[in-house]
Amino acid sequence: MTSIVFRRVLSTIPVMGVVALFVFSLLYIAPGDPAAVIAGDQASPEDVERIRQGLGLDRPYLVRFFEWLLQILRGDLGVSIFTNLPVTTMIAQRVEPTLSLMIVTLIIAVGVAVPMGVVAAWKADTWIDRSAMGFAVFGFSTPVFVVGYLIAYLFALKLGWFPVQGYVPIARGVGPWLHSLILPSVTLALVYIALIARITRAAMLDVLSQDYIRTAKAKGVGQRQILFVHGLKNAAVPIVTVIGIGVALLIGGAVVTESVFAIPGLGRLIVDAILRRDYPVIQGVVLLFSFVYVLVNLGVDLVYTFVDPRIRY
Amino acid sequence: MALLEVDRLQTHFRTPDGVNRAVDGVSFSIEKGETLAVVGESGCGKSVTAMSIMRLIAEPPGKSAGEIRFEGRDLLKLSEKEMKKIRGDDISMIFQEPMTSLNPVLKVGRQIGESLRLHQGLDRGQAEDKAVEMLQLVGIPEPKRRAGEYPHQLSGGMRQRVMIAMALACSPKLLIADEPTTALDVTIQAQILDLMRDLKDRVGAAILIITHDLGVVAEVADRVVVMYAGRKVEEAPVRDLFAKPRHPYTRGLLGAVPKLGSSLEGKTEKLAEIPGIVPSLKTKIEGCVFAGRCPEAEDVCREFAPALEEKAPRHVAACHFSPREQEAAA
Repeated sequence: MTSIVFRRVLSTIPVMGVVALFVFSLLYIAPGDPAAVIAGDQASPEDVERIRQGLGLDRPYLVRFFEWLLQILRGDLGVSIFTNLPVTTMIAQRVEPTLSLMIVTLIIAVGVAVPMGVVAAWKADTWIDRSAMGFAVFGFSTPVFVVGYLIAYLFALKLGWFPVQGYVPIARGVGPWLHSLILPSVTLALVYIALIARITRAAMLDVLSQDYIRTAKAKGVGQRQILFVHGLKNAAVPIVTVIGIGVALLIGGAVVTESVFAIPGLGRLIVDAILRRDYPVIQGVVLLFSFVYVLVNLGVDLVYTFVDPRIRY
Repeated sequence: MALLEVDRLQTHFRTPDGVNRAVDGVSFSIEKGETLAVVGESGCGKSVTAMSIMRLIAEPPGKSAGEIRFEGRDLLKLSEKEMKKIRGDDISMIFQEPMTSLNPVLKVGRQIGESLRLHQGLDRGQAEDKAVEMLQLVGIPEPKRRAGEYPHQLSGGMRQRVMIAMALACSPKLLIADEPTTALDVTIQAQILDLMRDLKDRVGAAILIITHDLGVVAEVADRVVVMYAGRKVEEAPVRDLFAKPRHPYTRGLLGAVPKLGSSLEGKTEKLAEIPGIVPSLKTKIEGCVFAGRCPEAEDVCREFAPALEEKAPRHVAACHFSPREQEAAA
């Protein structure tokens, strides 16, 4: 088991290398000259050139890439062009809200979607199945910002159950923290629920038609056990896979959700950085998001070996 | 009172293009400790009969009618909850495909222990111990280690042994075996049949074995029911059936069995076959169900369905042309 983990971790290194190269290249691909942006409208060409040299933007591409890579490996993501703060500091300040949002969303989504998919498969082609899948189509096709504003309007403005906007750090108590996260999490979870529920239903439908389910029934196993012990464990591989893939959805959704609910997280940070052409910050956050995504999928690969004994690497 | 009495069982399936009469009025009974074989071609309703007894027919589209009395209680009238108590405890079942009939993600020991925990209220540890005991009983070497393995780590023969261990764990009164050896190698088949016979005596269970393999029938059965197109066409003690089949279909089945070494002796005669295929079960058949393929069929067969008659003691068949006899068949 340890060697499996070790090998899988090693195999993520080339992936992260490619990600790093891409993130670094953003600076070249993206339109606009950071030196000119920093220098401002009134600057002379000499000023711009001086800033460019100061940032090291005049040196060859590969040289700068490897310097940057070494710097990252030391844990230094550079300094924000706009605020002059180290990027790591800026990220550290913003990690908690985003991480909280994603974890709560994940729990809500998995908690709702998996049972929903299982029941939909059990009651396939009945009104229960149809309404669950109808809900899934609705959830999948409605943009996050539309859902966000609708939910905020109804539950915050009209009913007043939850705050309209903002984030309460967990240090101020779990209750208030959770209270501030419910609406954004539900908003963000909707797409995710739709995705997971559909895959769960499809995987369970397949599993429930298998011979071993008939065997379990012939033993006198009850319906609940059939669904959640004999069935779900066999359907787990595609479900876990889609949960992992869906994290990308969460990252994208978090950027929008944080804007709708004014949560000071990484999503807001990167949106602001993009608007200001603050390349070190953009690179830092994108790198972090990519790293998390790779890590989640590594975790998914490892979970496979727990849910399905036939899978060995 | 017989252990199991199947009385005019009808199991029909509603399909988009009509009702499929998979089992259409079949009756038979099994005594305590007896082995009854149900034989017939694919699609004649053997498996559906077995699934109907277990009440494992999905409803809808399926629907069973008639009576299935087990120790006098009509299983078709029990609630799902009562039926769940019977499945795996009083009546258990072995299936055709040992490769796919075990749950791939649960350990073998746990799968055997599951019915013990359900029906005998054993705790996890006790069930595990009993499972190891059962594995030993079905002749699996190193039962302790095997109990901790997953189905994919076992061979086909071993998996079928596991299925048997699972089915017999609660000492059922009736074991239904649906083509238990069909998917196995010939050498393994004999072992599995031996094992079933051996354990049946030890547990005192009756067996309902479903098969299309007349070799298996000769090997294990006391009595035989021959099914065709959802009906029973003949029923007899196994010796009588093989010695003097009363129904043309049974004769056809027996004739279609290849004789070992027959081509070596220079006899290159063609294997007898039954021409045609089983008729669609979606149209109501007037007359004898076998008339379309029967070499002896005449007009009367196509017009009137023959009743099941006792042609000889304990030997019933449904055929207009099979004579009744007074003396016992050999």
